[in-house]
Amino acid sequence: MNRYEKGAAAAVALMLVAAGFIFLYAPTDALQGDVQRIFYLHVSSAIAAYGCFAVVLLGGIVYLWKDSLAADRLARAGAVVGVVFTTVTLVMGMLWAKPIWGTYWTWDARLTSTLVLWIIYAGYLMVRRLAEPGRQAARFAAVVGIFGFIDVPVVHFSVTWWRTQHPGPVVINDALPSQMLLAFFVTMAATLFLAAVMIAIRYRIEVLTDEAAEKTAPAPIVAQSEAGRAR
Amino acid sequence: MRTITVALAVARKDLRSEWRTRELVPALAQFVVLALVIANFGFQFDSRNAPAIAPGVLWMALVFAGLVAFGRAFAAEREQASLEAMLLTPASPAAIFAGKALAAALLLVLCEAVLLPALALFFTVPLSFDVVFAVLLATVGMAVLGCLFAAMVARVRARELLLPLLTLPLWIPFVVVGGQAVQAAMGGSGGGSGTGQTTGLLLDLDILFVVLTSLTARFVLDD
Repeated sequence: MNRYEKGAAAAVALMLVAAGFIFLYAPTDALQGDVQRIFYLHVSSAIAAYGCFAVVLLGGIVYLWKDSLAADRLARAGAVVGVVFTTVTLVMGMLWAKPIWGTYWTWDARLTSTLVLWIIYAGYLMVRRLAEPGRQAARFAAVVGIFGFIDVPVVHFSVTWWRTQHPGPVVINDALPSQMLLAFFVTMAATLFLAAVMIAIRYRIEVLTDEAAEKTAPAPIVAQSEAGRAR
Repeated sequence: MRTITVALAVARKDLRSEWRTRELVPALAQFVVLALVIANFGFQFDSRNAPAIAPGVLWMALVFAGLVAFGRAFAAEREQASLEAMLLTPASPAAIFAGKALAAALLLVLCEAVLLPALALFFTVPLSFDVVFAVLLATVGMAVLGCLFAAMVARVRARELLLPLLTLPLWIPFVVVGGQAVQAAMGGSGGGSGTGQTTGLLLDLDILFVVLTSLTARFVLDD
């Protein structure tokens, strides 16, 4: 096993531990019943998505500042993983909303801003695909990543800024019993570790993709990256 | 050369070339009137639901007209490869970008000068100072964002596809806040926030996007 496989195995094991906490340890919610158990993964993946998009933002800024290829690859990896976790957040939220609210979707400020977040970073991935690989794609994507991150605080504070149907913060308001809180923190730690492993693996894939591209088309790509470093 | 001189020169050049061809503004004016006609059929409009529907129609028409206008902003430069020539001059990329954005914003304002009276006429809604002011404030931020992404997609494959994908999500704040302002001014349910609050928010958004764009424009233009 190389270190990526070890990391992936550890992440899966941790997620199984988290599942144990969610389904066996945490008490059943008095009002919502078992559906409430969606909360643990739903909130954790939202936080993981914020983290991934912060990686995209920082990677973009460092790339524009220092022309660092590593920062750009990190941003690329963060965007893909962030979109995955945003998808998980949205889908799990909808599954929870159907029995609790009676509908999968409502145009609530937090739901809407999260959907917009997903669309923005899907657009980021489109820029990466359509722009000329190398300096152009990296620069354009960095700019999209910087503008796109504006939506992250909007999503996060939407429940405080507007009157929303989405539940407000329960963890920092100390509204959870201690067993639920423990289950939540275990799930969050496992999810963040999973996100970090996914970014690391994705980063490795980006390195290999870049190397393969350099091998097949040496002249333009080498010239471009060197021009980038000289700047 | 000073930034403002360059920006004004670039804007004057764009406006002059639009004046000579007279392509974009007449086409946009027709486009927004067509949008109103289609909205009329889509919404089964009558005099009672007008205050509720008209603000939505206004922003739909404006957003899509804006996409067309900003998509064209760099079309001529791309066709004649003249952007590269401009970038070779000592003028700063940010100044050139500011000029392009200024010209595109003014062209969109011309299109709004058709859209707003047409909306008031066809949908029989009052056209107050608040409506015009909110639309103009939103135009500033929409123009800087739209031009930034237009400059970006001008160098990219499938640019017609990519421009709306990038621009529309970031325009949503202007539609949300501007929409509230226009709804309140047209007598619909305005979401409860006063005109002062929405004007302040639109100004904040304008400042945020102008600052961010002026910081990032050189990375997009000087590619």
